[in-house]
Amino acid sequence: MAMMSFEYKYRVRGGTLLGGDLFDFWIGPFYVGFFGVVAAFAAILGTVLCVYGAAIGPTWNLWQINIAPPDLSYGLRLAPLRDGGLWQIITMCATVSFVAWVGRQAEISRKLGMGYHVPFAYSVAVFAYISLVIIRPVLLGGWGHGFPYGILSHLDWVSNVGYQFQHFHYNPAHMLAITFFFTNNLALAMHGSLILSVTAPPKGEAVKTSEHENSFFRDAVGYSIGAIGIHRLGLFLALNAGFWSAVCILLSGPFWTRGWQDWWNWWLYLPIWTQR
Amino acid sequence: MMITGHSVRIGALLSLVILGGCKNYPDVIKPGPKQVAQHGFRGVGMETNYDPDDIAKTAAYNQAPKPLPPAPPGPPGQYRNVQVLTNISAAEFGRTMTAMSAWVAGGPGNCAYCHNTANFASDSTAKGELLYTKLTARMMLRMTRRINSDYTRHVGGTGVTCYTCHRGQPLPNGIWFYSDQNQILRHYLDRDDIRVQSHSVEPLPGAAANRTSIRQTYNTYALMATQSKALGVNCTYCHNSRAWTSWEESTPKRVVAMYGASMLRDLNMNYLNPLQPVYPRSRLGEHGDAPKAQCITCHNGVYKPLYGAKMVSDYPALWGAAGWDATAGPLDATGKPLFDGAPLTEPGVTPSGAKMSAAPTTATAPAVEVAMGVTPVSAMPAVTTVPARPTP
Repeated sequence: MAMMSFEYKYRVRGGTLLGGDLFDFWIGPFYVGFFGVVAAFAAILGTVLCVYGAAIGPTWNLWQINIAPPDLSYGLRLAPLRDGGLWQIITMCATVSFVAWVGRQAEISRKLGMGYHVPFAYSVAVFAYISLVIIRPVLLGGWGHGFPYGILSHLDWVSNVGYQFQHFHYNPAHMLAITFFFTNNLALAMHGSLILSVTAPPKGEAVKTSEHENSFFRDAVGYSIGAIGIHRLGLFLALNAGFWSAVCILLSGPFWTRGWQDWWNWWLYLPIWTQR
Repeated sequence: MMITGHSVRIGALLSLVILGGCKNYPDVIKPGPKQVAQHGFRGVGMETNYDPDDIAKTAAYNQAPKPLPPAPPGPPGQYRNVQVLTNISAAEFGRTMTAMSAWVAGGPGNCAYCHNTANFASDSTAKGELLYTKLTARMMLRMTRRINSDYTRHVGGTGVTCYTCHRGQPLPNGIWFYSDQNQILRHYLDRDDIRVQSHSVEPLPGAAANRTSIRQTYNTYALMATQSKALGVNCTYCHNSRAWTSWEESTPKRVVAMYGASMLRDLNMNYLNPLQPVYPRSRLGEHGDAPKAQCITCHNGVYKPLYGAKMVSDYPALWGAAGWDATAGPLDATGKPLFDGAPLTEPGVTPSGAKMSAAPTTATAPAVEVAMGVTPVSAMPAVTTVPARPTP
């Protein structure tokens, strides 16, 4: 594996969060560390259990393999392996693995003397997953509220849970999340095209500078957010998309049980109308 | 620009003042324990969600009143101008009249709400004006018998009485009229069928024309939302949303609901609309049409009206089939009497055979059973008087 000339000097011991010198080494290009071992162990165990779940299930069709959470009647208790217990163990493996991955990112950041932006950003995605399979089920009092592990089955779950609230597009947090997703898309498309337009000139022409980038957007829309600014904006948009996605499903059920279109009735009760 | 803590506090205070000034401000967030009933295979996400506060309010409003003492058997009464209740004993006739007065006219002895008390047989007042209340009541008796005898695929062994809709009030909940606004009920519960389907893409002339549109689709969506609200359920009570149209993947409730929609079209077209000439102007809508029914008129927020209480089994005059004198009412598919007063049971099984189960409950535990089809009598307050109608 190719290695940058400066990389060796950062391959020093120390800076770990947990485990001290234990596992404080590299395998090829990969840093291991305590969290790396935990993440690998949990990920491998969880994957093997998924394969086992498929093996005891009715199909090997990749689309239809389904490892479902327990019935709601089990509440927050453990369920038999074939009745959702497998889902509970796999959920634990996934959570441990994802959190350990955050820890591993943090340790690498420390060794390199960087900020914690990467583990912070990734932990928002982990928070969204934990919201779905742990926080919301605990708030509603049953592991059965988690989503099933399967390509089509998890899509069916998403659809049905949305329609439990009749019209999910009226969920205000869902509106925010979708707006952030789309805006994030817009920002990345604008940024990506701008960077390629200055760094990939036709043969024989010089690469353009950041002044070109700024000038383009000042000419086009009167304002350029700048080189650092676009990355701050991108991170802000991306993290908010994930964060409000988590919020929109946490609201649905634990804090709202009716159709989301009914939620907007507060508008009719504002003291700006002549009646009421 | 910075948003300081100070301005945040002022903003929060201002919002509180604005919101606090509104009467009956609706909930925007409801923390606390919830009750969820699962009615599909685990992990499919077919569940109904309830807030215990909402269940308590709905349950209080949906108590069946105690039946009147049964009437002794006897020959039919020798009354003049009786057109519907011709086949019941005189005692049962009087008992039915008493019950109707309590169910519809606010109390058990309010004969004058419908009758000319100087001449009970007459259809007009002493001054010769038409007694529209009496004519309406007669049509409603026909309608009730029609529902209980011919729409068992919707009302099953539960049946309906006047109280199912009226709740002690002359005007039931959810009555509706034609209007100039886009009106989903007029489209689907009056004359037209619900389906928004076309088998052709091209705008062919005639019956094969593709009339599907976003507006039609949204009309259907809105109708479905009114059904959900009327029954206190959501889309997944009838549908698996992965395949809306598939009857195989829907729950059996969807069939019941479909018969309900066709029943409502029949009732609105053949019983409620035809009363139009009878009503005084004050009872008609802005287009001069008669009041009509929708799902919530009977259901009143519950998946089965009055949680499936078989009120009608105590009132043979309303059975609407051979044996209105209580000797034998309408029969079910197995030949057993439909209205035999037996406790309501419902197999808690979905089409896939998955066992229905409920979430563990933290408070007022039996309420989940309410959602599942079993009326937990112990959990409900005994109601002896007719409950007041809530302000809409």
